[in-house]
Amino acid sequence: MEEIIFGIGITALAGALATIAGAAEDTESDIGSQGDPNSQVQLAPQMGYIHRIFNKAIAGEPPAYGLWVALGAGLAWAFMAMQINPILAIVLGSALAVFVQGVYATTAYLGRTASLAKFEQPVYIDILKSMTTVTMAHAFVAIFAAVAMCHLIISALGHPFPLPLLGLVWGIALGAAGSATGNPFYGKERQYQEQKFGAGVPISASGNIVRYAEAGERNSLDNGFFSAKLGGPASGICFGLIVFFELWRTVVFEPIAAGWGAVIVGVVVILIFAIIDRYIEVWARKTFGPYVAPEEASS
Amino acid sequence: MAVKIEVGAGGVPHNQILIYGLVGSIILIYLTYLNEVTNTEYFAFFGGLACVAALVWGADTIKHLCSYGLGTGVPSAGMIALGSGVIAALVGATTGVFAPIVAIIVAAIIGAICGLIANHVVRMDIPVMVVSLTELAVVGAISVLGLIAMVGGTFNFMDLITGTTVVLGFTVQSYGTSVIGGSIVALIFMLAAIAIQHAFNACLGPNEMQDRTLMLAAECGFLSMIPIAVISFAFIAFVPALISLLVSLIGWFYTYMRYIELSKRDAYAWLDAQPILEPKGGA
Amino acid sequence: MSALGGPAQTSGVQSPTGMGLIVSIILIIVALALAFFLVQMAGLLALVGIIIGGVLVGFGVHFVPVGGAPAAMGQAPGIATGVAMLAAGAGLAGLFGGAWAAPLGFPLALAGGAIGGGLLMAITCTMVNVVYIFGMGIPAASGKVDKDPITGDTFPEYKSQGTEGHGLPFISWVGGVVGGALGGLGGTLIYLELLNVYQAQMPALFGASVEQIAPIAVSLAGVFAIGMFLMNAVLAAYNITGTIEGPHDPKFKRFPRAIIAAAAASAVAGIFAIGLLELLGVF
Repeated sequence: MEEIIFGIGITALAGALATIAGAAEDTESDIGSQGDPNSQVQLAPQMGYIHRIFNKAIAGEPPAYGLWVALGAGLAWAFMAMQINPILAIVLGSALAVFVQGVYATTAYLGRTASLAKFEQPVYIDILKSMTTVTMAHAFVAIFAAVAMCHLIISALGHPFPLPLLGLVWGIALGAAGSATGNPFYGKERQYQEQKFGAGVPISASGNIVRYAEAGERNSLDNGFFSAKLGGPASGICFGLIVFFELWRTVVFEPIAAGWGAVIVGVVVILIFAIIDRYIEVWARKTFGPYVAPEEASS
Repeated sequence: MAVKIEVGAGGVPHNQILIYGLVGSIILIYLTYLNEVTNTEYFAFFGGLACVAALVWGADTIKHLCSYGLGTGVPSAGMIALGSGVIAALVGATTGVFAPIVAIIVAAIIGAICGLIANHVVRMDIPVMVVSLTELAVVGAISVLGLIAMVGGTFNFMDLITGTTVVLGFTVQSYGTSVIGGSIVALIFMLAAIAIQHAFNACLGPNEMQDRTLMLAAECGFLSMIPIAVISFAFIAFVPALISLLVSLIGWFYTYMRYIELSKRDAYAWLDAQPILEPKGGA
Repeated sequence: MSALGGPAQTSGVQSPTGMGLIVSIILIIVALALAFFLVQMAGLLALVGIIIGGVLVGFGVHFVPVGGAPAAMGQAPGIATGVAMLAAGAGLAGLFGGAWAAPLGFPLALAGGAIGGGLLMAITCTMVNVVYIFGMGIPAASGKVDKDPITGDTFPEYKSQGTEGHGLPFISWVGGVVGGALGGLGGTLIYLELLNVYQAQMPALFGASVEQIAPIAVSLAGVFAIGMFLMNAVLAAYNITGTIEGPHDPKFKRFPRAIIAAAAASAVAGIFAIGLLELLGVF
């Protein structure tokens, strides 16, 4: 019984760390403009829209975060093998991982923008200097929380994977969950803020991202300010729920029915989410209504 | 509307880079074997240099492949290269002194088969697919083996699975605190996967220049060496690890500065705190 | 210089070439024979398990709804991430759960892996819809079919003007969960097969107990499972050419090619992974 209570406590803590990591991950990738929305930042100069947005093209978020978290975890593991205190090891490991991330961010911006010289997009050094440190800060929070969560899962809950491998696994999952949830909000809502609310961006408007906005010429910090209000927390909740349910169903229900209790609870949770998803989908159709009357619509 | 992948023309021919990369990295990685010969660990950093040579070759291969229309994007080429390469590298490591050769042969086999499958079963029908995926798998295998040699001081499997740990003040042999047992290979896998594709992916655009792309590939290689050098403090003695770290930092700093100079050369304008420069023809 | 060459533009699905099919079948048979030769019946069964695992991964990737860059703008339905890496995220979360349940037996570990992958996709797909509906005010609509096959919802009038659809209609949601479950199942199967092979061979080889060599076996099996997962996911992504709406998408009918490709690639990579320890001490 005590073991289960201890396990639930660790699960709750790991879930909280995962939520922080998810929120920080999404904010970082929105400030740096990484992943699929970045294709618009890349496209804009080609359509003649010069901008001052940071163009961080480092693969997508899942492999990139797989690397940062695996780096943080690998370095933390090495420091712990050198008999350094675990918390200090995780902090140092995350700091060094963030250094690598920052360097990758700067080379990505310089490379992409220099290769757009034909479309007269200048390299703005002040953007490089001010955005890089902010993305590094958010990345540090995300990496530290993720590595701490992995360390808890191994040392307190007894998972067989070594820390770097678990860091890789959860890093890729973090990037996938955060990118899936946060990208549409940043891409459609903020980058194309001048398009009508409540509809997707028409193909004819591709590349016409917002460049002059409420605080003068928009830069990535303005984007981060906005997406941290919904996209960030949504990604945090998404990844936090994933980690929490994954750990909770194992810790609490594995002793039941020789382990099959965890599987059954997992199926039940998936069905509950199916019901929730179906409910909000129907709610949206009823509340928002169709764009045109059904007879007028052409497929 | 998707972003078009365009490739700059000119520069050193790909086959020349292939030869330099392949021969250079094999020589460099065998230089780590001097560790076994002299019973020290000072030559570990040559493994990292082998990785840098392989990454420069790999970046040019990805550019070559993408110029033939690999639509789904650059990062996936890096993933498939490293997926095959890491298996080949570990298989190679079990053969002791022949590790680099065996790793290259196994990687070439797996890469060629993946290329054949991609062209003939999945019908990608890209002319250079088989050759490019073979090259990429070999690059992946050499990068992984090089970084393993750098972090552990050796590419011998039996030495990579034993390490020491301190229990209650006593130093004991442990399988868990070794390069393979601690899954440092997973970290090396991801480092190399991102580094291979970053050079071309980050320099993508109509004004892509080969020297800038390859300088970025070298910079990514040295950057990957820095955390590996820090981790090697847990496996090899203090002074050899310090040498690794110094070589990595100096190499990284030099390539990074050169890359910034080349970007300055190629950029349309290098502005500091200036407003948006609307193009002359208007938006 | 823009993309030159590239796949021939023909309508309909191009089936694998004769050479591709023959080479794949020969590779699978040769690999199975080698497995039996090297590790006898246990090796043969392990390789069959790995091939099935790889096929499940390749097949599962076709279910996951991915919209790519247009989805990030609300121009296309699906999740706005790369298809191989989203599938990798789900599969690896499944691997996490499956590896944890490994000591409890094969069927339980597989079920745990499948549920882990499905759970990640269920939560992610739900949150994607939450962001679209409550954050952006956009209902879900598919661009490829007029009616949802499961719920009967009509889509043309709910598609905003100038887009191909947006969000995740229920069929895409279900597709995502099924894809995540299959990916988690496949990845866990590959991991468990390799773990069994290594845990059977290593104690005798190294003269240590199963618990002592556990870190090595777990790390090797884990890294190989991730590598093979990514190889199969990328080949499946090549098959899909980037974006797919889910099982209702016409592109879904291409999956037989991916199954053959995944089987052949997994067979080749698997035989190298299984035979890894046989090479120890040969040189």
